[in-house]
Amino acid sequence: METQVGIAAAAVRLPARKRDVGSLFQEESAILNPDIAARLGIEEVPICNGESASAMALAACQEALRRAELDVAQLDVIVDYTILPQEYLVPAWNMSNELQHELGAKKAFTVGFSGGGATNFLVALSSAAAMLQANENLTSALLVAADVTIPGNRILNPSDPVSVLGDAAGAVVLKKGMEGSLVIDTELHSEGSNHDVCYIPGGALAQPDDPAVYRMELDKERFDKAPKTEKLKVMLETLLERNEVKREDVVFGLYPNLSAEDQQQFADSIGFGPGQMNSNNRKSHGHLQGTDFVVNYLSMIENGIVKKEQYFLAASHGMGFLAGVSLLRM
Amino acid sequence: MTTGIGIVGASYYLPPKRKAVTDIFRDEQIPAEPLAANVDFQRDIGIEAVHVASEESATSLALNASRSVLEKTGIDPAEIDLIIDFTSIPEEYVAPTWSAAGIIQKEIGATHALATAVNTGGCASYHTTLKVACSWMAAHDRYRTALLFAGDKVPEFNHTYYPITVICDGGSAVILKKGHERRQILSVEVATLGKLHDIWYIPGFHRRDPADKDRKWLHMTADIPKFNQEVIPMNLFMFRKVMRGALSLAGRKQQEVAYYIYPTFSTWDQKAFCQAFMVVPEKVFTDGLQRHGHLQETDMVLDYVDAIDEGHIKEGDLVMLTTNGAGFSWGAALIQH
Repeated sequence: METQVGIAAAAVRLPARKRDVGSLFQEESAILNPDIAARLGIEEVPICNGESASAMALAACQEALRRAELDVAQLDVIVDYTILPQEYLVPAWNMSNELQHELGAKKAFTVGFSGGGATNFLVALSSAAAMLQANENLTSALLVAADVTIPGNRILNPSDPVSVLGDAAGAVVLKKGMEGSLVIDTELHSEGSNHDVCYIPGGALAQPDDPAVYRMELDKERFDKAPKTEKLKVMLETLLERNEVKREDVVFGLYPNLSAEDQQQFADSIGFGPGQMNSNNRKSHGHLQGTDFVVNYLSMIENGIVKKEQYFLAASHGMGFLAGVSLLRM
Repeated sequence: MTTGIGIVGASYYLPPKRKAVTDIFRDEQIPAEPLAANVDFQRDIGIEAVHVASEESATSLALNASRSVLEKTGIDPAEIDLIIDFTSIPEEYVAPTWSAAGIIQKEIGATHALATAVNTGGCASYHTTLKVACSWMAAHDRYRTALLFAGDKVPEFNHTYYPITVICDGGSAVILKKGHERRQILSVEVATLGKLHDIWYIPGFHRRDPADKDRKWLHMTADIPKFNQEVIPMNLFMFRKVMRGALSLAGRKQQEVAYYIYPTFSTWDQKAFCQAFMVVPEKVFTDGLQRHGHLQETDMVLDYVDAIDEGHIKEGDLVMLTTNGAGFSWGAALIQH
């Protein structure tokens, strides 16, 4: 890649209120025993209490732009990587346009992506970097998402819980000509047969009217069968080979806060030891979809774990449907 | 300037069942009063009938179009690196959690692809998607072949987007290839006006009125006073902006444009475009209006295919594809034949 694109700044907006997972399990009639609690490794999650998704997104965007010292009037593109339903029905409506207005980003145009769970963040990252690299007249991009969970749908797969969902908004500013947090390359691949491993069956054309199916559903059997971390390992190897980087030169991993079990499987597969991934955010936030990456990136920067010129990665299996691995360099 | 990417082929699928607009107006209780002194919506719309999917799903419309373009181009699905769904209205399952991209990948056997969906732009989503796809393909050697598709099916009694147009169901698909020397995409320009984000919207299940038995929450809803006050005054200005942008990026002039592909909304809208940009009607594909009405973002593909097949676009022609979308979005793309 000839033009260097990097992360200029990032910000997260979390709702003020948090709930402990014990009370959420009780509320959603799910069983939380010591085994499940250990598997999840999530203690509490942030929950909206009147805050709207777009208001949180706006706050996150404003903070990210302030940190990036970017005049919003110069912003070229806004990319929405939200995964959960928005304030009106997508794709007829998309939050990115409301944000363009609220931010005053008059020069920008908007793009949004659907599908792929947390990997939607990596799709946004890869596409935004490509737009900046391929178009001379584009120099900055704002990635944004706001995910607010459907009421009563925080425990993913209550009969055999896989995660607990929190609410949050995240924003990342990308700029051309950066010297740090460079987006080196991204490998993305989808497995079409798993398009419906994790989705909301009701509320659109297939089953419009049944409230019982307007909720995120996981096909646990297919989720378990999907070679998730194995695939990410192969994709990372491809990515490293293409960029002539050695595995041992990658010192840290940004990975979704789905569960302790899922994070450990990835760490084992890649060969990451303790301290090479953040697990604290999982305990205190649960799974925030693509914003997990933003939360974990900010913690990585704050803790100074990755030094100048060192490589780090961002990876997600997208619930077995859309896998992605990004290589970045501090 | 050129992206180095060409259109290998494009195709569409229209469900066989048709419904006359007179029946649609009756079933949807469309007002009979004239819109303005010289425009009567029902009399002047210029659409005779639209295709109706009935039992066919939105995804099946897209799949039929995708299979058609694969057959037409002879592209092996295993060659496809990128699949992007650019459908602009709700599909089988709720977005942005889901899109039809994965199921299309599975059904056509595009085993090596990245499947995703661009979910903004309204009827200009094709242009937004061209911008994204061309950028990905230009920036990375590994993205060489892309399938872009859409499948649109409106709810049974939501075929009229009053007072703009009448909606047809259908699907479309386009294959792009890096290094393809024919039908080169010279430039793509898109623009959005965020303040107009809520002119056209679909409320969604979470906003439904439990007493609503007609599923109005799944219908396209319009803020017509705001449309009249804020979109109408900006519309032609924004068309000019994106077309000039596309021409400037390609280093070409408007006089060089041999043919225009423009949405099939209504007779008065097509007339306004031609008058504003001093384009003779013969240089704009308008025949599709009467045949099928408006197919959302698929207008850009369907009318392009028909214009080629019917001899309106010839080798060497510079073609402008331009549209607006959902009141907030505009796009222009230049294709060198």
